[in-house]
Amino acid sequence: MSRIIADNIISPLGATTQANYQAVKASKSALCHYNGGKKGYIGMSDINVPFPFTASLFSDEQRKSFCIEGFTLFESLAITSVRKALEASQIPLDQRTCLVISSTKQNVGQPARDEKQGDGDKNTAQRIAQAVGVTTTPIIVCNACISGVSALILGNRLIEMQQYDYVIVCGIDLQSSFIISGFQSLKALSEDNCRPFDIDRTGLNLGEAAATVILGKGNQKDGWFITGSAIRNDAFHISNPSPKADGCLMTIEAATAEQDTRRLSVINAHGTATLYNDQMEARGISRAELADVPTNALKGYYGHTMGAAGILETIITMHGIDHQTIIGTKGYDELGVSGNINIVRNNTSTTKTDFLKIISGFGGCNAAIYLSKRPVPSSQGNADSGVTTHTVLITPQKVMLDNEETDIGQQTGKALLTYLYKTRIQDYPKFYKMDALARLGFVATELLLQKEQKAGNKEQKTKGERAVIFFNESSSVNADKAFLSTIADPENFYPSPSAFVYTLPNIVNGEIAIRNNYHGETAFYILPRKDDETMRMITQATLFDSFHSSIITGWLECKTEEDFHAEVKIVERLAKLF
Amino acid sequence: MEELILELKEEIIRVLNLEDLTPEDIDPNAPLFGAGGLGLDSIDVLELIVLLEKRYGIRLASAAEGKTIFTSVGSIAQFVSENRKK
Repeated sequence: MSRIIADNIISPLGATTQANYQAVKASKSALCHYNGGKKGYIGMSDINVPFPFTASLFSDEQRKSFCIEGFTLFESLAITSVRKALEASQIPLDQRTCLVISSTKQNVGQPARDEKQGDGDKNTAQRIAQAVGVTTTPIIVCNACISGVSALILGNRLIEMQQYDYVIVCGIDLQSSFIISGFQSLKALSEDNCRPFDIDRTGLNLGEAAATVILGKGNQKDGWFITGSAIRNDAFHISNPSPKADGCLMTIEAATAEQDTRRLSVINAHGTATLYNDQMEARGISRAELADVPTNALKGYYGHTMGAAGILETIITMHGIDHQTIIGTKGYDELGVSGNINIVRNNTSTTKTDFLKIISGFGGCNAAIYLSKRPVPSSQGNADSGVTTHTVLITPQKVMLDNEETDIGQQTGKALLTYLYKTRIQDYPKFYKMDALARLGFVATELLLQKEQKAGNKEQKTKGERAVIFFNESSSVNADKAFLSTIADPENFYPSPSAFVYTLPNIVNGEIAIRNNYHGETAFYILPRKDDETMRMITQATLFDSFHSSIITGWLECKTEEDFHAEVKIVERLAKLF
Repeated sequence: MEELILELKEEIIRVLNLEDLTPEDIDPNAPLFGAGGLGLDSIDVLELIVLLEKRYGIRLASAAEGKTIFTSVGSIAQFVSENRKK
């Protein structure tokens, strides 16, 4: 259990949590309609898409106000938000304080800092850490739409494990032609203001924001405490949620397992206002027998702020309850999902002390956190260590299985992965649809599982409780380039939906979960470099959730189709014998 | 029509990355989705919508509209021949 010490929100509605809360409470929305065109729209030279859309974007004036020389807009915004939270908390910035950044696209699609810097600069987390004075290794959580909650869960565990005394968790994403055209190609955008859970909802709006929370030890009586949490995978589809809400239900059940849900004031849903997401969440809430609990969604104020969403929406919900208020679901009028869930239309008063934040994302991932104003220590934490049972190394020239070199004929690079698929796997034609990073992770995992099966050391019944956790330093850089090539020419602007999906690196985790029916945690982390100690720490944090019997984990780097490096292993929980 | 069907098969293999298939492997009347067909899914529908717009100048409003058109290669060919703008 960790305690929330300080927070900050910077959004088009204001640059402090207070300003944001007051705006939302007064039912102000940051959503604006933009008439896209081949020449972009007035005042926003950076976004250039040939279709109209509605989004929550910073004005040029706001952008200027937080721009710091020598840093990208993304970095400047993160630094400003973290600094504001630090000012309010006065925590020491030493070896016991860590920075976790939650973001789906970082600098990708943003203008470069200077001419020398390209898109997706890998040093971005280090530059932010350095600017705010954090000296330990920064971690980027890149776990699609659940990134924010995923980062809060990691921070909470690192404190429970006593790895750190303080964790600064900053969620941030900016919009770009890249992201807007990608969601448009998936037919996920609503041209007008979004309408979460409503019968007339037609899709989501995108938004920009940064939101920071500082977590500390839970050894105090007052404040907000994270008392339950879980991440689970649907193992259903890489971009559609499970219609039965399997993963969502599992996260709710795990996060509330030790909680008194009669104290729940509200369930703050993801509520993106797409047909599938809202229906799925309604199903999950009903199946968890929480349909009577008031449920709200905040996308009608902010749009979908991606990496910031989970953190921003947690902060607003927290401050609402501090003021005995449940914020109404802007855009909602008539129930348009099955099950009789209780959507809060207008601001409502509450005297209860707890809430549940749920969220879901591409790659089949789902997350839930339970927050309470009462410190209730959780017994979920499990400090068992892990033991490596099998390892695989794949480079463009070499394959090593359990440290033995494997014959790969004359094959190298991209052709090597296809060769491994054709000679050793064969029965999964979806392989050909995967991007290079997903192919690499898929083949590496298949080879590991074949070794495991041969050794006969894994009982079938525990496989569903397997987590899939990967790390790299370049995120989805190869897929990003592939998608950018479909939108680079304004005269030939045809964003590819399948190319866009793979611009989330955690899709590879989803592919592996689907193939093997794994329902454990799936997460992708970006580190400044291949760093065994940080990877070990995060693997340990995953085992901290006692649901997991084992983890497929390791380094999964793919700079181009021909330049990759996978070093993946199976880690089994070493249960205490005495 | 035969020519258009072959062209569509080649385009579908290319845009959906069906690297292990040749045009001869695709029966123009076989279902594209679900078991027994090519096993395409919702993202493939969206990719086929992009193909129609890019190659033939046909713009579909929603993925739901696409579902009926993309029953088989034959049904796509029929729709394209009736609606193509380029």
